[in-house]
Amino acid sequence: MPRKTLTRRSMLKKVGLVSAGAAATVMGPWRHNRVYAAASDKPIMIGLTSDASGQYANSGASDRRGMMMAISEFNERGGVLGRKVETIHIDTETTPATGSRVAERLITRHECAFLIGAVSSGVANAISQVAQKYGTVYLNTNSSSPTESGKNCRRVKFVWDGNGTNFAQAAVRNAISAYGTKWMLMTNDYVWGHNTSAATRKLVDQFGGEIVDEILVPQGTRDFSAMLLKVQQAAPQVVAAAVGGDDQKAMRQQVSQLGLGESMAWINNQQDWPDVYGLPLDNLFGVFGTTWYWKLDLPGVAEFVERYQEAYPDTKMRVPGNVFYNGYMATRELLSAVERAGSTNNRKVIQELESLKVSASDRMQHHDAYMNPATHQMQQTIYLATANQGTQNPDDMFRVLSQSAPEEIRDADADAACMMESLDDTPTYEM
Amino acid sequence: MASGESVAARWVSRQMVLLLVVLATLPLWIESIGLYPYLGVEIAIWMIYGLGFNLLLGYSGLPSFGHGAFFGIGAYAFGLFQLRVFESLFLGIACAVTAAFVAGAIVACFLSHRRGIYFALMTIAFGQVFWFISIKWHTLTGGEDGLLNIPRPAFELGVASAGLGSNTALFYFVLVVLAVVLVALWRLVHSPFGKVLQAIRQNEVRARFVGYNVWLFKWTVFAISAAIAGLAGSLFSMAQQSAYPDVMSLHASGIIVMMTLIGGGFVSFWGPVIGVAVYFLARDVLGAVTETWLLWFGLIFVLAVLFKPEGIAGAWQQHVGSGDRRSLARRAVAGFLSAGRK
Amino acid sequence: MSHVLPHLLNGLSLGLLFALIALGFMLIVGVMELINLAHGSLFALGAYFAMVIISPDLAWLGAAGEAWAVLPLPVRYGLAVFLAPVLVAIVGMGLELCMRRTYGKKAEYGLLLTFGAALVIEETIRLVWGPSEQYLQVPQAISGAFLFAGLIYSKYKLYAALFAVGAIAAVWLFLERTPYGAIIKAGAHDSEMVRALGINLTRLRLLVFGLGAGLAGFAGIVMTPIWGLRPHVGIDAVIPAFLIIVLGGVGSFWGAVIGGILVGLAVGFTGAYASELSLLSMYLLLIAVVTFRARGLLGRKSGLEA
Repeated sequence: MPRKTLTRRSMLKKVGLVSAGAAATVMGPWRHNRVYAAASDKPIMIGLTSDASGQYANSGASDRRGMMMAISEFNERGGVLGRKVETIHIDTETTPATGSRVAERLITRHECAFLIGAVSSGVANAISQVAQKYGTVYLNTNSSSPTESGKNCRRVKFVWDGNGTNFAQAAVRNAISAYGTKWMLMTNDYVWGHNTSAATRKLVDQFGGEIVDEILVPQGTRDFSAMLLKVQQAAPQVVAAAVGGDDQKAMRQQVSQLGLGESMAWINNQQDWPDVYGLPLDNLFGVFGTTWYWKLDLPGVAEFVERYQEAYPDTKMRVPGNVFYNGYMATRELLSAVERAGSTNNRKVIQELESLKVSASDRMQHHDAYMNPATHQMQQTIYLATANQGTQNPDDMFRVLSQSAPEEIRDADADAACMMESLDDTPTYEM
Repeated sequence: MASGESVAARWVSRQMVLLLVVLATLPLWIESIGLYPYLGVEIAIWMIYGLGFNLLLGYSGLPSFGHGAFFGIGAYAFGLFQLRVFESLFLGIACAVTAAFVAGAIVACFLSHRRGIYFALMTIAFGQVFWFISIKWHTLTGGEDGLLNIPRPAFELGVASAGLGSNTALFYFVLVVLAVVLVALWRLVHSPFGKVLQAIRQNEVRARFVGYNVWLFKWTVFAISAAIAGLAGSLFSMAQQSAYPDVMSLHASGIIVMMTLIGGGFVSFWGPVIGVAVYFLARDVLGAVTETWLLWFGLIFVLAVLFKPEGIAGAWQQHVGSGDRRSLARRAVAGFLSAGRK
Repeated sequence: MSHVLPHLLNGLSLGLLFALIALGFMLIVGVMELINLAHGSLFALGAYFAMVIISPDLAWLGAAGEAWAVLPLPVRYGLAVFLAPVLVAIVGMGLELCMRRTYGKKAEYGLLLTFGAALVIEETIRLVWGPSEQYLQVPQAISGAFLFAGLIYSKYKLYAALFAVGAIAAVWLFLERTPYGAIIKAGAHDSEMVRALGINLTRLRLLVFGLGAGLAGFAGIVMTPIWGLRPHVGIDAVIPAFLIIVLGGVGSFWGAVIGGILVGLAVGFTGAYASELSLLSMYLLLIAVVTFRARGLLGRKSGLEA
């Protein structure tokens, strides 16, 4: 690969001048293949795109702590490829339009080699679209919408959380045999909710259950009383809820007040740790999915928790949760991939990540995990958990019920839905 | 310095030339002050949006808190045209402007016989309805994931043609649009039509007694303002290459009100231009320094309302008007800012 | 019918809560012709204050904190319900002192100032208590569920509706039975008339703003066990409040109460029978009413129409 001493900024300036000077020049689609000098003493800059305000501010903070811990571990060992890793964080405000602007800024002004972080799928899409334009590798750490590794997959984007379909796969068959076949769905009336409910519906049909009704919950709902009355009137055996964000927090509170969590079985798609940490245990009802728990009985977990507590002694959240874990794991695997590739060249890093395999012990999960090269989603163990009633330890909120291997909970539709740009169509760079 | 009246009579004012020159050279110096070309694209787009919005708020005294809806409609219309019909820059923009105009015209039928707080809340209600539709109709709009992969069609005019793939190229295209909007709005507010709008702002009842069809004027200005928002929206969807429901949210609609007022939309034609520049720069500069930038911005905002309620433009006018030692430069700036109003 | 009745009752109780949320907003808009966009932030602030007061973890208060911690929850809760709104009222009065600079100017400046204040209060909450979800402890006696005609209802919701009725009655008594109320009803924005009646306008405004803010804080305390608590919870309160006032008509006490109940019924019934429209229903209701009635249901002429 030819190496010219061109920085990204001077490159962009040149492009700017050319187009300014000659408006009649035909500027084809943005498909320059750029190579930058990678002076070995120059730090590797990583842009952190987690939300610091808006609906997912709290999860965003946890996500970011995960990334930072992984990065500081590499820096303590002398950096990556002998280069120090530096970060810059800009708030994406849980707003896609802001995500676009932040990504433009991080890539063009701060010359970030990689971007990491997302909770909201809208923000993740906005960032990944800009990242794809420049070829910048982007890690979607915590957005669990099935569209992320399906319809909206990208060559430069890698998804590290389990998605709605995975969690439904893990829960539905067990719930039908344990609780009954008469099901009701409560679905947030937007894309994530509909995708998740569609996955649940398919599985319920497949295993002989029946869906008696589906209640659509508009985004921004704060009062669930009318809907919960309707649930009672229909008296299902199982309610499968795909309600997220602040809506979920309000719903949880109201369901627990009614004690409905005990009178019928509830399946909550996924429960992010930062959303429940510190709340009364009553608020956790039914069965829900997660990718990791801090009291998993596996080697390394306890040390990991200790490292967290050492790194963040002042944080209110005393133990790491799934959001932190995903942020940490994604970042660690990216930096390891850069080391294996021996370069920050994006194509080499993408190829490394596409063939990524991580052993169960490295993942601190029950099964080996691997990157699906067709969808760029990490295939990993999914746990089902419930409230740990009767515990004396306020941090020990979950009781893990079961774990499913990646093959059992595979999102089979994603492969067909995902049409990724080819590697050749992705601009290349090396920072 | 020419008097306000004769400046108003011109097609192109000195202020416009100054603004456009500053913006035209922006790609040459924006990186040396630590910013990036893409920011210039967004600033220019929001200036268009703000100028159109101030036609309602500043000139007609009609507070619209749901204007993001029309911005969003423009963005979706442009994107859908490119993705579903065919790729064309000018037809796409025309489609966006028309869609926003039609939506604005329909909404205005409900609004134009309402005033003050009732007008304001009806705009919120309609804004929410459009926002709801954009989330709900996700087979068309992509829901919260947004409408993605919107192309930036090439600029083609006769034999000349230019790609808008790079942010700098797009910036110059937006700048040309901004120039056209500036001239058009400048003429509009200084036309007899603009005078009637200001009369309505000062006293709607009197304007009606004088014999103007106030309803029709309000209807027209609302639809025009919506169309300009749609134009800005179409450019925004090009800049972002996607369209999202969030630009239609109450929050986003509130921000354009804030930008217009903080710049001094009530007292100057240039209020929204200044407000947009200040807001974007503050957000980018403060936002990189501190995560609690909104707190600081809010505090500055409160202080500004308390001590300089006419906004930045108003503050300048006062500052210059009060002092004896009037330097040429200061007078020039004051003239710049007051040129929009008598 | 047996299926409809629960939803009717639920809609009514929801309506009372909506009326409660709008009360403080109504008072300020009616008397001062000022749209208080900080209403939502004051609502949130009330809940956060109550949370701190109820919390047994007041170690930073030393011995007093320890004495406080041993008090039973119902006592702490009862005191919080009183104290927190008073604290919010004080914050509100501080805001009113700032507002004075905008009197006599365009109405928009008051609106802008309260908007800025809303930003500052919300960001301060985020800074002090963090972005995460919090909760408000509620005494055992008023939480939990009860069974009625085969369906489970929330006991707390019932008490919350009673709180709302109490607040509505108190505001009504204030308006009907105090000299201030008479002034307010006479049209307090007409300062000459007020002075002629021998009332100190400056004090009236301070009082009304404090009362309005306190009511916002009280509504926040009542709603938190239902909605949950996070820094940006205010937006969920200020928009319905604004909407209910316009729906009911600016300057009308009963307009606000009826507006609240109508919104509650609309949200309740759509929640049951067309749940995806339940949030939109209040906006559609507003459009339907204001399209045909220029000043909402019971509005009177007001400076806010100009």
